[in-house]
Amino acid sequence: MAIFILPAGLLVCTLLIAPMLMMARISLNHYDAMSLMVEALTAENYLRAVADPYYQRVLATTLGVAVGCTLVTVLLAFPAAYWLARMESKWKSAVTILTMFPLLVGNVVRSAGWIALLGNEGLVNAALQGVGLSDHSIQLLYTPGAVIVGIVGVVLPYMVLTLSAVIEGIPRQAEEAAANLGARPLTVFRRVILPLATPGVVAGSVLVFILCMNAYATPVLLGGPQFQMMAPAVYDQFSRVSNWPFGASLAFILLAVTILMTVVGSSILGRKLRA
Amino acid sequence: MTATRLAFRGAVVFTYLLMLVPVVMVMLISLFNEEIVSFPPSGFTLHWYANAWARSEFATGFAISVQVALMATVIGVPLGTAAALSLARSSIPAKGAIGTLLLGPLAVPGVVAGTALYLFYLKIENGLDQDVVGTMPGLVGAHILLTIPWTVRVVTASLQGLDRVVEEAAANLGARPWTVFRRVTLPMLRPGIVAACMFSFIQSFENLELTLLLVGPGKTTLPVAMLNYLEFRMDPTLAAVATIQILIVAALMVVTDRFVKLSRVV
Repeated sequence: MAIFILPAGLLVCTLLIAPMLMMARISLNHYDAMSLMVEALTAENYLRAVADPYYQRVLATTLGVAVGCTLVTVLLAFPAAYWLARMESKWKSAVTILTMFPLLVGNVVRSAGWIALLGNEGLVNAALQGVGLSDHSIQLLYTPGAVIVGIVGVVLPYMVLTLSAVIEGIPRQAEEAAANLGARPLTVFRRVILPLATPGVVAGSVLVFILCMNAYATPVLLGGPQFQMMAPAVYDQFSRVSNWPFGASLAFILLAVTILMTVVGSSILGRKLRA
Repeated sequence: MTATRLAFRGAVVFTYLLMLVPVVMVMLISLFNEEIVSFPPSGFTLHWYANAWARSEFATGFAISVQVALMATVIGVPLGTAAALSLARSSIPAKGAIGTLLLGPLAVPGVVAGTALYLFYLKIENGLDQDVVGTMPGLVGAHILLTIPWTVRVVTASLQGLDRVVEEAAANLGARPWTVFRRVTLPMLRPGIVAACMFSFIQSFENLELTLLLVGPGKTTLPVAMLNYLEFRMDPTLAAVATIQILIVAALMVVTDRFVKLSRVV
C-alpha cells in the first residue's frame, strides 16, 4: 500500500516543488533589456524590489488591504457563523450549502456582480438617485473601497464555515451557565464564546489573510488601473515586461511576507483572544 | 436585550447579503433587455444566452474548461484517493511531511505556483523542443495539482469514519485483499470519492490564478476569457456566461448532496 503514495507525491514534487526551486534560482539571475535573462548569482532583484518606492507602495497597499479585509471579515463572519452553528432547524444543511455556494462560483463571476452593483449606472447608484439621496452618480467602482468590499465578499464564506465549525464544538451549557449567573449576552460572547472560539478565529484569519494577500481578479477588476496590489504586479513582470528574475523575486517576497505575517499575526491574535 | 438581538439579526442578514447578492445580481442582469446595463431594465429577455454562445471565446473557453476539468478530475481523484489510502493504512516513514506535501498546492498561493509552473513549462519547452504553455496537457497537468489536495482531504476524512471491522470480516471469510478493496472498501468510500470529484471539477473549472499564464491563443479557459472581457466591459452577455457557470456549480452541488451530505464534508 505504501507504494500508492508515489504517483501523487511525484506529481506534486514535479509540478510544484521543482518549479518553485527553479523559480528561486531564476530570481537570482541578472536581467538586461537586450538578452532578457543572464545567468548570475545576485541579490539585485530582491534589493531593487525592496528599495523601489513604487513596489514599497504596492506592498504597503497589499498589506493594508489584507489586514483590513481580515479584520472586517472576522467581525462580519462571527454573527453569521454563530447563527449557523446554533441553528437547529431542518434548514441547517441547506444554509451550509448556501454558504459554500458563492465560494465555489469563483472570483471572476462575483467580481462581475460587484461591477453591476457599484458601477456608475449600477444598482447602488440607481437606488441612491431613485430615492433622491443623490443627484449624480457617485464614483464607487475603481476605488480602494470597492476592492475591499469585493475581497471581503469573496473570503467571507471561508471565515463563516471555519468559525461555525469551531462554535459548534462549544457546549451550549457553557453559555447557559454564564447567562444563569447573570452575564448579559455581550458578556457571554466576550468572556465565554470568543475565548473558546479562538482556534477558529486564528485558523480562519490565517486562511483569509493568505487569500487577501494574493488576490488577483478582485483588484484587477474592481480597483482600476491606478490601484496596484502584489499579485497583479507579479503577473505583469511575466506577461507584459518579461523580466523573469524580477518577477520571480517579487513572487518570493510576496510569499515570504505572507508567511511572516501569518506566523506573527496568529501568535499575537491567539494570545490576545485567550487573555 | 432586544436591541442586541436586533443588531445580531441585522449582522447575520448583512453578511449573507454580501456573500450572495453579487451572484444573484449576475443572474438577474443576464436577463436584462438593454445591452448597456442600467436600472431598472425596460424588460427581460433570454437573447443574451444565444449571443454568449455565438462568441467564440466563450464557446471554446467553455469547451476547454469542461475538458480540462474532466481530465484533471479523472486523473487526479484516483491519484489522490490512492495517496489517502496509503497515508491512512500503511506505515510509511515521514507521514506528516508527505501529508503536508500533498496539501501543498492548497497552501502555496496561486500567483506563486502559477508563475513557477509557467517558468518550468518554458524550460521543458526548451528541452523537448515542443510547446507546453498553451496546450491541453500543460493545462491538465496544472489542474491535476489542484485536484490532489482536495481529494486527499475529503477521502482521508471519509476513511477516518470507516469501520475496519467490516473489511476484517470480509478478509476472514476468505476474500483476497483486492476483492476486499473492490467489494468493501471502495463502496464504503463512495460518498467521499463523489465529493472529491465534485470539488476537483469545480476547483479546476473556476480556477484563474494558476491558469492565467498557461493559456495560449485559442486555448483560453472560461474564467480567463471572462476576465479578459470584463477588463473592458460588463454586459448581459458576460452575465449570461457567468450564469451558466453558476448553474453548473449549483447543479453539481445538488447532485453531490444526494450522495453525501456536503455540510459534513467541509
